[in-house]
Amino acid sequence: MAARILIVEDSPLIVDAFRVLFTDAGYEVDAATTVAEAVERGAKTRADVMLLDLSLPDGNGLEIMHALRERDALPRVTLAMTGHNDARARRNCMDAGCADVLLKPVPIAELLRQIELHLA
Amino acid sequence: MTMADEETQSALRKRVVTLEQISEEAQRTIDELRSRDELKTQFLSNISHDLRTPLAAIITHAEILWDGMLGELNKKQGDSVKGILSGGHQLLDMIDEILTYVRSASDQIDLVRTHFSLPDLVDQVRVLNQALAARKHLTIERLNGDDLPSIYADRDKIMHVLGNLIGNAIKFTNDGGRIWIAFSRIGNDADIVRVEVGDTGRGIARNHHEMIFREFAQVDASPSRPHHGTGLGLAIARKLVELHSGSIWVESELGKGSRFFFTLPLNPAAD
Repeated sequence: MAARILIVEDSPLIVDAFRVLFTDAGYEVDAATTVAEAVERGAKTRADVMLLDLSLPDGNGLEIMHALRERDALPRVTLAMTGHNDARARRNCMDAGCADVLLKPVPIAELLRQIELHLA
Repeated sequence: MTMADEETQSALRKRVVTLEQISEEAQRTIDELRSRDELKTQFLSNISHDLRTPLAAIITHAEILWDGMLGELNKKQGDSVKGILSGGHQLLDMIDEILTYVRSASDQIDLVRTHFSLPDLVDQVRVLNQALAARKHLTIERLNGDDLPSIYADRDKIMHVLGNLIGNAIKFTNDGGRIWIAFSRIGNDADIVRVEVGDTGRGIARNHHEMIFREFAQVDASPSRPHHGTGLGLAIARKLVELHSGSIWVESELGKGSRFFFTLPLNPAAD
């Protein structure tokens, strides 16, 4: 069965680009644009991979991880994505349980490689 | 008290009141300028962030096409997509430069120090810039440094500084020119490393030596200038070097090339 990716990102432009990318690469794709929506979707069907944007309109992306952990629905792998190469933000993500922190825009080859690597 | 004394005292009191008023007015102006500067910084931060998101989408879509995920591209289509990617990345670099400036201006930059080899880092930046330099038939050499001990500094930030200086050298040196990087140890215990990035380019007039390290300053700021950029590169480089307790300066004359220098303590913990 295809691995399921939950894209958490508030920009529909980025979501569209990722949908094209991951659908073509053979993944099952779901998307959420807010913390609330991501928690709802993530709890309903557990994702294998969550691509997590940190700044969302209703809060910080890391809140989703806490909420999903409480519901025992944390994805197998969470890759955070940020626009800043910031040491403090990186530490916070790793402390929260992210497998890695990627700097946006992540080159697609690198993104697919990371996902395959973490799912292996 | 004589009449003359009273007059002098009254004149003095008036002068003091006037000075106080001027001082208050100056303080108000300073406060207003500071608040406007904060607004400008906030605006730059917001606009850069907002520009980055659609740009990231453009670049990702172009990469999907370029990778042939949606079907093989013919040569003309490939060249066109390559143009989108190259322009997109250039724009992204400029936006990132503005964001780095904003963060450095509002002291939001933390140093993450590790031990690393400065000559190895220079070699890495040389490799990254090789293609750009080759297009202008420029050589980039590292003249020495194999015996330099490791340095304790923020590797990414120093890479940014080197990338900026070498990038500028490439930009402002004519075809067939030479760019070099050299190290020397200075200070009482040779505990400071001085890095030189030199070029045989067009040089910088003496009266511009200070100005080029200021924010938004460009020697040629006209819209028709041949080299475009944010005018923030050297201001950021200076900020990053100063965060490491180092300094940065240029020695240059018009038509005679430029030599940019920056210093870094090798092991700041031992300072």
